Amino acid sequence: MSTATITDTHTADHHGHHEHHEPSFIRKYVFSTDHKMISKQFLITGIIMGILGMGMSLLFRLQLAWPDESFMFMESLLGKWAKDGKLDPNYYMALVTIHGTIMVFYVLTAGLSGTFSNLLIPLQVGARDMASPFMNMLSYWFFFASSVVLMSSFLVETGPASSGWTVYPPLSALEKAMPGSGLGTTLWIFAIILFIVSALLGGINYITTVLNMRTNGMSMNRLPLTIWAFLLTAILGLLSFPVLLGAGLLLIFDRSFGTSFYLSDIHLNGIGALSNSGGSPVLYQHLFWFLGHPEVYIILMPALGISSEVISTNARKPIFGYTAMVISLIGISFLSFIVWGHHMFITGMNPFLGTMFMYVTLIIAVPSAVKTFNYLATLWKGNIRFTPAMMFAIGLVSLFISGGLTGIYLGNAALDIQLHDSYFVVAHFHLVMGSASIFGMFAGIYHWYPKMFGRMMNKTLGSLHFWLTFISAYLVFFPMHFMGLAGVPRRYYQFSLIPEFGIWMDVNILITVAALLGGAAQLLFIYNFFNSIFRGEKATQNPWESNTLEWSTPVKHIHGNWEGDIPTVYRGPHEYSRPDRELDYFPQHEKGDGEPEHYHAPAAVPETTFEGKKEKASTVFFASFAHLFLKRA
Amino acid sequence: MKPFFNLTFKLTLAAMILLGAAFFMSKSIDIQGISTEQLSAEKPLFGADEYPYEPAKTSETDSGLSSNINWAILIFSILMVLVLANAFDISKYTAKITGRETVDQNNVNKWLMLIFMLVGLTAAAWEYVYHGKLILLNDSSSAHGVDYDSMFSITLLLTSIVFFVTQFILFWFSFAYAKKDGKKALYYAHNNRLEVFWTIIPAIVLTLLVLRGHQTWRSVVYAEENNNGKIRSIEVFAYQFGWKARYAGDDGVMGLADYKFISGKNELGLAYKPEVDSLLVELKAQIENDKLQIKELESGKALSLLQASFADAESLRDYKSMESTQKEIDAVNNGEKLDDLNASIKRKTKQIERILAIQNNQKQFASIFNGAANDDIIVQEIHLAKDTLVTFNFRSKDIIHSAWLPHFRAQMNVVPGMPTKFTFRPTKSTAEAKKERGEEFEYYLYCNKICGVSHYNMKIKVVVETQAELDAWLKTQQPAFIKKPVVVPAVISSDTMMIQNDTIKKLALN
Repeated sequence: MSTATITDTHTADHHGHHEHHEPSFIRKYVFSTDHKMISKQFLITGIIMGILGMGMSLLFRLQLAWPDESFMFMESLLGKWAKDGKLDPNYYMALVTIHGTIMVFYVLTAGLSGTFSNLLIPLQVGARDMASPFMNMLSYWFFFASSVVLMSSFLVETGPASSGWTVYPPLSALEKAMPGSGLGTTLWIFAIILFIVSALLGGINYITTVLNMRTNGMSMNRLPLTIWAFLLTAILGLLSFPVLLGAGLLLIFDRSFGTSFYLSDIHLNGIGALSNSGGSPVLYQHLFWFLGHPEVYIILMPALGISSEVISTNARKPIFGYTAMVISLIGISFLSFIVWGHHMFITGMNPFLGTMFMYVTLIIAVPSAVKTFNYLATLWKGNIRFTPAMMFAIGLVSLFISGGLTGIYLGNAALDIQLHDSYFVVAHFHLVMGSASIFGMFAGIYHWYPKMFGRMMNKTLGSLHFWLTFISAYLVFFPMHFMGLAGVPRRYYQFSLIPEFGIWMDVNILITVAALLGGAAQLLFIYNFFNSIFRGEKATQNPWESNTLEWSTPVKHIHGNWEGDIPTVYRGPHEYSRPDRELDYFPQHEKGDGEPEHYHAPAAVPETTFEGKKEKASTVFFASFAHLFLKRA
Repeated sequence: MKPFFNLTFKLTLAAMILLGAAFFMSKSIDIQGISTEQLSAEKPLFGADEYPYEPAKTSETDSGLSSNINWAILIFSILMVLVLANAFDISKYTAKITGRETVDQNNVNKWLMLIFMLVGLTAAAWEYVYHGKLILLNDSSSAHGVDYDSMFSITLLLTSIVFFVTQFILFWFSFAYAKKDGKKALYYAHNNRLEVFWTIIPAIVLTLLVLRGHQTWRSVVYAEENNNGKIRSIEVFAYQFGWKARYAGDDGVMGLADYKFISGKNELGLAYKPEVDSLLVELKAQIENDKLQIKELESGKALSLLQASFADAESLRDYKSMESTQKEIDAVNNGEKLDDLNASIKRKTKQIERILAIQNNQKQFASIFNGAANDDIIVQEIHLAKDTLVTFNFRSKDIIHSAWLPHFRAQMNVVPGMPTKFTFRPTKSTAEAKKERGEEFEYYLYCNKICGVSHYNMKIKVVVETQAELDAWLKTQQPAFIKKPVVVPAVISSDTMMIQNDTIKKLALN
């Protein structure tokens, strides 16, 4: 791995407190405390987990598309769980469960936030490493251990956890309720506990580093939006993950020590009436979703931060409304803590609570809308370079719009009565949280690959990868809205037993074929990613002509990030195409000649391009729209 | 060397994919036993003239054939990708040799953005029309469903407008403002008035939606409380994996039930004294049996018996029973069996204690075993009267289920230990729905919360008919235990039901 990027670089380190000897292989590549190496470890583990998670989804998509078909390869792959090439219903649910768990926690939380928080926080705020590099290393290794424990549940005789990624008791609490609720669920809970430890160790580090270790001149209002997103994500994680830890511990008590936190009035087939009394399964749901909802934003916000940075850099324009972007991130973070009940409108909780949760949920749409419009305004009159990263960021905005709009249905308690747990929900969260965040992750990988590995990824393969993934994402998830609206429930193993769902068989086949296409597209990415580590074109120091601090570090990774002093920051991160400069970028650390303390842009829209309409600022958007049609050259 | 390596890698990849696909195809053809001539009899991927509610043709030839076509499509697309990748590689090398870029990728991607927008938005519009016909909208079979559908339509209209406009703008901007040499982007960092504008507009629209949603939500969830008229109450009982419904018997009163009373003959756990008594006897017998088994375990008799049956199975080479016997032997050896038996005794003792506690409490006993449950009717099919409000009182035997009646726009979770309910008024009888949707149409209540191996087939038929038909049908049903001669109208007031619900709650607390 990147032997070329890390060579004898420590001679360049002027700081006495750093050790000057070459670290051993193990210290450098395995138990490394260097944030850049840890970020690569997170990324590669995340990619491997992503491949596994996607593979699982393809297996159960095959079952949904061709329920009567025999896939003999499945028997050789899964053994007793796919006798005669037909997936076992229990195993179908295990795949659905572990697919969800992997994608939500292991890929989109650790793989996305873990990778880019680690890589970018020290580099973009101007720090030599994380506040606590050792804790950072522990964070990765807890994550790694957690991944191993989770995947080991596939080796258990009764199979992995199968009660859905939310693992609702009593189904998950009672060993006799389904096979997966035996040892598989125990392993699931332990994996999640290890994961939470990892997330907390990482989160504390990220917050401390951002708040305390910014370089001279890097005030909070000069932070790149990536850092704002990572900071708020870490705060969300720090405040909400412990609640899931509590829920998991109580579940362990119920499963193994005979307590009744979540259990009451249960008569189980083959066992009889259980003694558990007085608990409530709904309590678990409250605790779970108290993490579960912020978790959605833990996943999404880093992706939004990354896309802000990528869009601004590649549109060669300042991000439109930096302050509004930060305020909406803060607003989303705050609101995400008080909306968890919208996952529970029809659990039988007091309808009054439903009303309250509906109000706060729909408020979230406002900051989300502001972010979307600001992205659009950033593109307006830009000079867009379609790097793969930029295309993935544009794809993110498109998916964020498509998936976000359906949130307006689901956040509405009245509409949720019908839509709850239908395919509409599947379409909604796969677009807005799944695909959009994965697109953010891809944007980040393509954009910061030169920083991570010192080489460039192949641009053509990147473009192809984008287009295939983008088309596949829409083909897979868009038709699912209509299935849900026609009354098709999610997590059904097979639809052919219910006559009314038979009309969706064709669509199911289309979706599976599109998913296979999407899977094939990821092969291009994997080839491109690993091939470029060794044989990619050598990167220059600032290949995207970007403003942020990470591009002021040498291409070769050195311990401590900067040779000599850490640069001082003179301005915000998005000063692209400033009229007073010849170059269309202005790095944060570059001292301008006689630059005022705060640069005030000239009148928002120059007269020449707007034909004297500049005063009517509130109509700029629509005017610009008309302008496009009239003056498009 | 490099291009050669690249090419070999890609060719190997392509060969692997081809082989894999060929393997699938051969397998599926083998198993279905279809000759290749039949391939031509394939129906189109989307049967455009198919009747919307025609039941699925699940015959094997059908899905087998379409799958082959799709595999072919898949292989074709993968090959296309590889060909394109190679083509681009070639252009890269020519670019290197000639010193200038042969393909301006920025330009290609710019046009692709435009094409994607046009094709994508057209496809989305096509989906609205084609699959939009299949969605449940404006055909509700319940009274509140009409309100629901109008709420849905408003949201659909607003979000669709935003969807088409913003997606258009996004891709249009991407196309229109692609990089041009010598051009500089407009430095335009913020515009407060514009930002305030697009904060306030969504806020206003969402406020309106919330207010409307609030109104609909309250009218649905407080339907029972807000109604002064007659409501029929039925109990819907969920278990792994099925549903049962319970109607009040001739006395018009629904009896009480509890999970502690559930036995083989008393599946819903009704408060019927003779059955509960025999359950007590049965439990005591089971405890004695467990104790006997423990004695056998301690004396080593159980183990020697198991070993003997293992030897028997071995001599018969019955590997399946060898495996299961070995498991039992392991359970004996590692103490699991003993733990299980002890736990079982403890559990049953507790259950007996709790039942006796109810029976020994004079007041509780009288209110629970009041005889109301004796003539309750337990059925495998839910029958509802058209235009009469009905409250489903949900009870779960084991884990969380969810009762979803998509055609009635009704859904509620069924939670063990927590009574839930849903009230609605069916407005379209099954006969009327059949006229609209075809003869084979039936209403169903589906399970919509993951609940185990047969979750996907956990449903119960719902029949909506006239009051007279419903009464006639109820008369043909056998009461669970005994028929009582008392006759009162089969519709009871909601007040009585609420009192009963309270009693159930109190009972549950014990």
